[in-house]
Amino acid sequence: MKRTNFVLGALSGLAVVANADHILARALADTPLPGLPGGDDRVLVLVNLQGGNDGLNCVVPHGNPLYYQMRPSLAVPRGDVLALDASVGFNPNMKSLKSMYDKGLVAVVQGVGYPNPDHSHFRSTEIWQTAAPDRYEHTGWLGRYLDDARLPKNLFNGVALAQVLPEVLVSNGVDVPSIAQVAGYGLVSDRNAVARKTYTQLVTDNRFPFKSPYLAHIAEVEDDAQRGSEELPKLIGGYKPAGSYPATPLGRSLSLAAQIIGSKLGTRVLYVQHGSFDTHVNQKATQDRLLQQFSDAMGAFYADLQAHGDENRVLTMTFSEFGRRIEENGSQGTDHGEASPLFLVGGGVKGGVYGSAPNLEKANMGNVAFTTDFRSVYATVIERWLGRPSQKILGGSFPHIAALA
Amino acid sequence: MPASFNRRMAAGLNRPAGTLDVRDALKPYRGIWNERLAAHLLRRAGFGGTPYEVARFARMSQPQAVRELLHFSDTSGLPAPPDVYDPFAEDWHLGQLRGLSADQRRKFFNTIRKRSRISIVSMQRWWLNRMLVTPNPLQEKMTFLFHGHFTTAAMQKGVWPIYVWNQQQLFRSHALGNLRDLTIEVSKDPAMLLYLDNALNNKSHPNENYARELMELFTLGHGNYTEEDVRQSARAFTGWTLNRFTGSFVDNRRIHDTGLKTFLHRTGNFDGTDIVSIIYDQPACARWWASTLLNNFVYNDPEPQLIDALAAVIRQNDYNLAPVLSTVFASNVFYSDRAYRALVKSPVEYLVGTHKALALPQIVERAPVALRQMGQVLFSPPNVAGWPGGANWITSQMTISRQNFLASLVNSPMMDKSAWVDRTPMDPKPAVEMLVGQLLQGDAPSVAQTQILRYLDGSDTSALKMLNGENFQERVRGAAYLTMSLPAYQLA
Repeated sequence: MKRTNFVLGALSGLAVVANADHILARALADTPLPGLPGGDDRVLVLVNLQGGNDGLNCVVPHGNPLYYQMRPSLAVPRGDVLALDASVGFNPNMKSLKSMYDKGLVAVVQGVGYPNPDHSHFRSTEIWQTAAPDRYEHTGWLGRYLDDARLPKNLFNGVALAQVLPEVLVSNGVDVPSIAQVAGYGLVSDRNAVARKTYTQLVTDNRFPFKSPYLAHIAEVEDDAQRGSEELPKLIGGYKPAGSYPATPLGRSLSLAAQIIGSKLGTRVLYVQHGSFDTHVNQKATQDRLLQQFSDAMGAFYADLQAHGDENRVLTMTFSEFGRRIEENGSQGTDHGEASPLFLVGGGVKGGVYGSAPNLEKANMGNVAFTTDFRSVYATVIERWLGRPSQKILGGSFPHIAALA
Repeated sequence: MPASFNRRMAAGLNRPAGTLDVRDALKPYRGIWNERLAAHLLRRAGFGGTPYEVARFARMSQPQAVRELLHFSDTSGLPAPPDVYDPFAEDWHLGQLRGLSADQRRKFFNTIRKRSRISIVSMQRWWLNRMLVTPNPLQEKMTFLFHGHFTTAAMQKGVWPIYVWNQQQLFRSHALGNLRDLTIEVSKDPAMLLYLDNALNNKSHPNENYARELMELFTLGHGNYTEEDVRQSARAFTGWTLNRFTGSFVDNRRIHDTGLKTFLHRTGNFDGTDIVSIIYDQPACARWWASTLLNNFVYNDPEPQLIDALAAVIRQNDYNLAPVLSTVFASNVFYSDRAYRALVKSPVEYLVGTHKALALPQIVERAPVALRQMGQVLFSPPNVAGWPGGANWITSQMTISRQNFLASLVNSPMMDKSAWVDRTPMDPKPAVEMLVGQLLQGDAPSVAQTQILRYLDGSDTSALKMLNGENFQERVRGAAYLTMSLPAYQLA
């Protein structure tokens, strides 16, 4: 049975009726394949810096005296900043990223945000992931890219290295697996092997004596998970990482990302996450640690990619749901803010600093006002990196930034 | 509402098909009453029933069954509380730290962190077992709902296990109480004061974290207040903090902002209690709770008319939960086809419910590990919005983890203690009927039942011997595993 029929059945509220010869159906051509041709194509890795990364202490406006006035206890001392130019520089804990910057592999886009910013973690995260600040969208911008790209269907066109599927990879027609770690991704073999074999046949049978909005979805995810988890270790087992990664959750995720990319499964988009950057209290210790973990993991990731000749086909992009208030609060922390910088990293990037530096004088209710619409960055990535028109995916036209060739 | 609900909501993917008759929806249900619906009630108002509980509730009338769930009986016979490390009762003295070197301090903190982590696991086991054996499942269900709603995670931001333990007792004591009172208590609760930083909120530098989440996630929902309301109410909560040496709430007037605040169109020298009271005067607050209860107990993405109807009941009862829940569990909409199996089981519901369905006497040792793999660690929700729920529980990673948990459970020695599985008839056909009846209330496609039958009797594959006295136990447990592997089993 075609999986599109499952979805249509659920949407129209019809009872979902499966064909009894579902086992035969599985062999039909429309069933996604595990690995596929096109495995050498470009890849986008999206890194979600969850919780609202404080942009001002990440890309520090060390040339601006106002910054030091407004952050009496939190400002990064001028002498510690890893200066990119006379006005901005990296947080001193981002040494690996700085050395990548020096090699021209990093673009910093400043002041990224959207009109009428929302200060809720959840709504703002949703806005960044759906690329829809003014309406509710059920698909993510990369999910819509997957729908639009019509890649030869396989089980790994998009992969989320997370337990929960992020909204950014929700699409209408492409199932994206969420994989927290390969070790736990697979049915354990045990003395019920025969029951397991029967189970693999059960999951596609969908003729239940009741209706439920979730039934078809569950059957579909179980089916893909069961087959995907069987294939994945075989497909990526031959990959040997070059160098060592930091023993952090992000280090492990990026190591797995490199393994998936290097195994050439046909994956075009990967999602990883890192956090939490929600530093209302004692910001320095938390943010310094997280930024160092980010920077070190990125260093290891690109070293690994380079050793396998993949560094020019992998673009990494960060985002965070918002930056933070310019003035520190009374608890050595900062509250929810607005625009913040993001990073584009990889061999295809034109290194440098883009967009205008945050204007601390003309703040928007105490927050950094955005100067680059986030959809401009998305449009650039969709068109110049992933090679698709962006207007339909983003619901409008947005000027490109110059950070990608 | 957490973002994850929104995206599927926008597509109408969470709401059951069919049309709501809003005039009839909350009126008392007068239809047929059987084991299938009794099991439905027990899954929603509790963590599922054992076959015996399902049969007992089916023998009552439906109104009696609801009354039984809302009547909490004595719990003194339940397992004794675990040993929860309480730094305040023992060695938590500043004086003790003063004389210590940096190295000794580090050791001291490492020790208490270790003891805290051990406490958390004991608390998880204790609570899961209580969910399994309590005579008052609704009390635990509401405690669990509040835990995900007024989220606080232990071991972050100085939230010691003892704070979360006390917070859980607060939730339990308000399981059928007044929501406004509970919200005021939560605002003063040490775990919450630390988790959302109000402990540090003072008049010279207000910290907005609690004020915002109170409105966005706990009481009103996004869009029902302005950024200015966040700033103003944060000022009202200044001074609500805790004494770090006793661990209890204090109202520190010296750091409280006594100036006028304008909040949701009212002006006054408000404090935290005033803010909560003003919030509960908003129609949006009753709607928020109506939506929360419907999403947890009836179906996801309820129609606005249904939310309005339940919000009216909530306001008529001044936010007292007992009559509101009684209305929900007795209603037509609750027993309608549209609500039946319309919710996805959370991992905790899935795990405890599986123990219930198999009639196991206690929770398996590895439950905390299994729950982590399934994505739900008690006392450690992922963020302030709690667990996203619904379709978010159905990811490839999590379905695999559920499947692996089932396999390990049916192979564990705990299965020897199931009160009924090994007593299934040796005759394959009635055996499958019994398994599908007890574990799934018959909600299995006939094709799947045939497949399970063929597995059980050995005709499925040449690798299997025909069913006999020797392989019966292993085979019937395998058939139980298969029955619980059906997609319908993921649904509450």
